[in-house]
Amino acid sequence: MMNSFIGFGRTDGSVGIRNHVLIMAVDECCDGIARAIADSIDNGIVVTNYNTCMYGGNEEMINTMIHTGNNPNVAGVLVLAMGCGSIDPEIVAAPIRETGRPAFSLVCMKQQGTRATINQGKELAQQLQQAAQDAPRVEKPISELIIGVKCGGSDTSSGIASNPSVGRAVDTLVDMGATAIAGELIELVGCESILRQRAVSTEVADKLERLIHQEEARWHVDGAEVETMSIGNSVGGLTTLEEKSFGALSKTGTRAIQDVLQINHLVHEKPTTAGFYLSEATHLCGSAGMHFAALGAHLILWTTGGAGFNNPIVPVIRVSGNQYLLNEDIDIDASGIMRAEEGVESVAERIVAKVSKVAQGQQTNIEEIGYSYCSLYQKDQRLETVLRFKPGC
Amino acid sequence: MKKAIQLDPADNVATLLVDAVKGDEIEIISTNNQVIDLVTCLQAITFGNKVALTDIAAQQLITKASYPVGVAIKAIPRGELAHVQNVRSQRLDIPDNIIQEIIKQMRIEQA
Repeated sequence: MMNSFIGFGRTDGSVGIRNHVLIMAVDECCDGIARAIADSIDNGIVVTNYNTCMYGGNEEMINTMIHTGNNPNVAGVLVLAMGCGSIDPEIVAAPIRETGRPAFSLVCMKQQGTRATINQGKELAQQLQQAAQDAPRVEKPISELIIGVKCGGSDTSSGIASNPSVGRAVDTLVDMGATAIAGELIELVGCESILRQRAVSTEVADKLERLIHQEEARWHVDGAEVETMSIGNSVGGLTTLEEKSFGALSKTGTRAIQDVLQINHLVHEKPTTAGFYLSEATHLCGSAGMHFAALGAHLILWTTGGAGFNNPIVPVIRVSGNQYLLNEDIDIDASGIMRAEEGVESVAERIVAKVSKVAQGQQTNIEEIGYSYCSLYQKDQRLETVLRFKPGC
Repeated sequence: MKKAIQLDPADNVATLLVDAVKGDEIEIISTNNQVIDLVTCLQAITFGNKVALTDIAAQQLITKASYPVGVAIKAIPRGELAHVQNVRSQRLDIPDNIIQEIIKQMRIEQA
């Protein structure tokens, strides 16, 4: 295993392991325009806000767009708007530009229409691609990576094989000096007392208990029968949310919890020191990919039964322990644990080695083909207000 | 021999590592692959689901990997499937209509 990687230096001091250009549409009406522009360059990724073209009340989601633009894997950004909605694309582009990244914006109605916007956008995208190619190459130790930790399509093998292996790998990476961030607080319901003992301070312990309680309350409003476990989870062998939680907990390893990073309309908290963090990254997979991108993650470790979740901005290393669902999407086969042929320690070593290779440019199994939508999520702001969870209310 | 893994010595359930049918004898293994028990399945239990290792009374906790993962809503004899038809969450239940759908999709045989 190599201990360093040659990354792409950014003006804000961060170093990416990929060199992407984002074409962001702040309203869904510009999605087609964004795709036409992205198709004209090699490394273009579309991020579309499908939720609304309105601004008020959607600041949390817009924060996620801005911070995704600031992810170390992103070289530059073009932000598009149709012009009839409320979201000025400069609301997103200007804060990204403040980090020193090139960030442009275009408004279709001001550009004399769709074709003219696409033509203008292609020129700007070419400039962004050139800026990406000109990014200085910088050598960094593997320890400077920020790693998102997530599960999805969980089944019984997750709790026995892939989650404990990822947990052990996370411990190793944190001991090396890396930063790891897990989210999905709803999946930690029932684990509060164990997590409190790992918190670096009483303040962090109280914060994590409060945020887990809030997430439980959001998904448990009377009259809203929301699935916090999928039918697929249950058919796979998970009976209760606690069972899913304790299985999910093991992927977070055992190291001290530095903080719980909040995501809301006021702040998008980032790690301030190396180590292990929890965060408000959602349990909903597509949106979690964007939350981890916005938290500054370079890559994601993702445990699963056998599904092929991908995020085009942040490479995803998929780990599965289910020999019946293993396919070519899976980067790390942990099924030996289920057959009592391989130990957790050995699988964890393979995961750490894979993290190192992916940081050095090796593609994950479906990195180039498994495009997932960059789903932008925010907590329901009306519900936040009713539950009195909204900061400032 | 078909196997199920008991994650902690105090657990009252073990997780099936293969599909089993009614009458199958299952070797219960520990996390270091020692055979510690032999249990006869009272019903079909698919890969990844849990078999009761002891007679579990109603209201008794189900423990897996040393953690309480739910509570029995009826007596669960040794060898039966411990799942949504006889176990409930202590924190946040799956809605009833979803439980019925799970039972239907898994074709769980109920006494």
